[in-house]
Amino acid sequence: MASKAGDWRNYERVLLPPVKDLHRLDVFENHGGYDALRQALTTEKWNPSSVTEEVKKSGLRGRGGAGFPTGLKWTFMPPANPDIPRFICCNADESEPGTFKDRQVMEYNPHRIFEGMILAGYAMTIKTAYLYVRGEYADWITHMERELEKAYAKGYVGKNIMGSDFSMDIVIHKGAGAYICGEESSLMNSLEGKRAYPRIKPPFPAQKGIWNYPTTINNVETFAHVPLILSRGADWFSSIGAPSSPGPVLYGISGHVNRPGVYEYPSGMLISDLIDHVAGGMRGGKKLKAVVPGGSSVPVLRADMIDGVAMDPDSLREAGSMLGTAGMLVMDEDTDMVSFLRRITRFYHHESCGQCTPCREGTGWLENIVTRIDEGEGNMKDLDLLIDLCSQMEGRTVCALADAAAWPVRHTITRFREEFEAKCRPSLVATHVESAAV
Amino acid sequence: MTDFIKNPVVPLPDRMPDPVVAKDDLFFTEDEKKQIATWVSRYPTADGAVMRVLWLAQEKFGFLPPEAVQLVADTLDMPYAKVYGVATFYTQYFKEKKGTYVFDVCTCFSCQMCGGYDMLHYLEDKLSIHAGDTTEDGLFTVQEAECLGACGSAPMLQVTNGPYVHNLTREKIDALIDALREGNMPQFESVTLPQDENELGGNRRTDVARTTTYTTPPVSETVK
Repeated sequence: MASKAGDWRNYERVLLPPVKDLHRLDVFENHGGYDALRQALTTEKWNPSSVTEEVKKSGLRGRGGAGFPTGLKWTFMPPANPDIPRFICCNADESEPGTFKDRQVMEYNPHRIFEGMILAGYAMTIKTAYLYVRGEYADWITHMERELEKAYAKGYVGKNIMGSDFSMDIVIHKGAGAYICGEESSLMNSLEGKRAYPRIKPPFPAQKGIWNYPTTINNVETFAHVPLILSRGADWFSSIGAPSSPGPVLYGISGHVNRPGVYEYPSGMLISDLIDHVAGGMRGGKKLKAVVPGGSSVPVLRADMIDGVAMDPDSLREAGSMLGTAGMLVMDEDTDMVSFLRRITRFYHHESCGQCTPCREGTGWLENIVTRIDEGEGNMKDLDLLIDLCSQMEGRTVCALADAAAWPVRHTITRFREEFEAKCRPSLVATHVESAAV
Repeated sequence: MTDFIKNPVVPLPDRMPDPVVAKDDLFFTEDEKKQIATWVSRYPTADGAVMRVLWLAQEKFGFLPPEAVQLVADTLDMPYAKVYGVATFYTQYFKEKKGTYVFDVCTCFSCQMCGGYDMLHYLEDKLSIHAGDTTEDGLFTVQEAECLGACGSAPMLQVTNGPYVHNLTREKIDALIDALREGNMPQFESVTLPQDENELGGNRRTDVARTTTYTTPPVSETVK
């Protein structure tokens, strides 16, 4: 497999272009800001269904982790009925460990998010949009509220946007620190002022969402792509990067690299290119040991598994992992994988909402057993116990948090078993049994 | 069962603790009520505004004792249990009194890899407390936090649900504590993108006092 990103070295950034103070409304306007919205609202070419069609044609897939086709999601909304309110919600509860890309868009290009949300609202005939931001991003909430006020004052948001008969409000909702709120149904409960327990699906948000009204939820980065798709065309968008999941991607690279940070490149970049050429190589010239390609819940890859693997869903699935949020953690040869896993299990134990028993209890057991192994008190059979526990958690809960907690355990143990065994006490059972078979 | 109630695994909370906030202070001012009305108007039901109002109460009273939760419930005409449920679900709402400055030190995996625990232990040593505790003078609380979404500038911490301090080092922690003892909160720090270093000279925002770039953290001592 080769890189699907094409000539990425000469790639020109579009989501976070090199423009000073782009977050300011006047600068944003000078660089084509709100043009796509103006075109959509005031020209004959665009109507709600053609906007949805264009997004569908572009092949844009959600950037929040699940990678669902955005245009398709929009078509799930029932036909507009003026008596029934409907909502869109922008998921800015970015809390997957290793993911920090949305915060950069919120800081450096907030108006692009607003523009994308209004376009989505226009496409689905929606009057109110909620922007759910995690509570820890207090500074960025203040920042966006300030910019939103300016957008209101200029008539880009609010009543009769740009003189058209389309009106929409954007409300910024401040969370208060719960990983589970990134899950869409739990985000909806949180917005309604309840404990953020995920809901059973179906019904899906498009049928019964916030306050049981039709709702569409997309990620920050997903919304930010929409204005570009409209102004530059779906063909332009689908020609960037990997054909199965096209478009620019914000890669968040953290861990043991020389230049960590968020980078914008086409989708389908080779993992090795990202580490060696984009992020400046490994810290201290150390050797690579493992990569988590898309946030803490996706399976970890060993260094010998990343040859020719590109950052697109198909390539990563073949390699035995997932794209997730494209927030990549790079670990060098000195990393202790048991201690790494211990911290991940601790995270999921802390963040389990406690609604379903397999997850509430299971995440705690995972943490306790992995901690026991890390402290040198574990037995060999604990490793199989952990894998068995994973099987009993996966797919048995309302939301995917239990799966997200179980996958890293299962895959870190299977892929780095020797390290776990080295920390376990030797087996009490004699294992030198000669088999007569074979 | 009775044995469990007598000797619970986790100590059960005192349901009727003595009020911390004096009755005379337990109200929202007219301005605050106006602000709450604005928030309520943005949602189909008043319940939607509960998180904002809890934030307001926490800023006003420092934390959320039962009487503050009751005040929020009364203001929004919600049952106490429902508001209490929300207040206890989210980690950023403080259910007990904390220090004036709360350090949320991120130790989740990116920060762990880059020495988040070194920073946490340094803070613990420096302030002579354990994570989760408050110093005797009531000035500082140190907590271990889950991912705060600043993995590129790890290790990092957040001061009292407010500003982030990126790319932590021991010197930075020393300076931070000295500044806070004098009452100076750290200012917002804009972390520029690595790609901007080539194209924008490393500074994307000209309207903030401080910008920083991602730096390569030193090799951790505790986690190898």
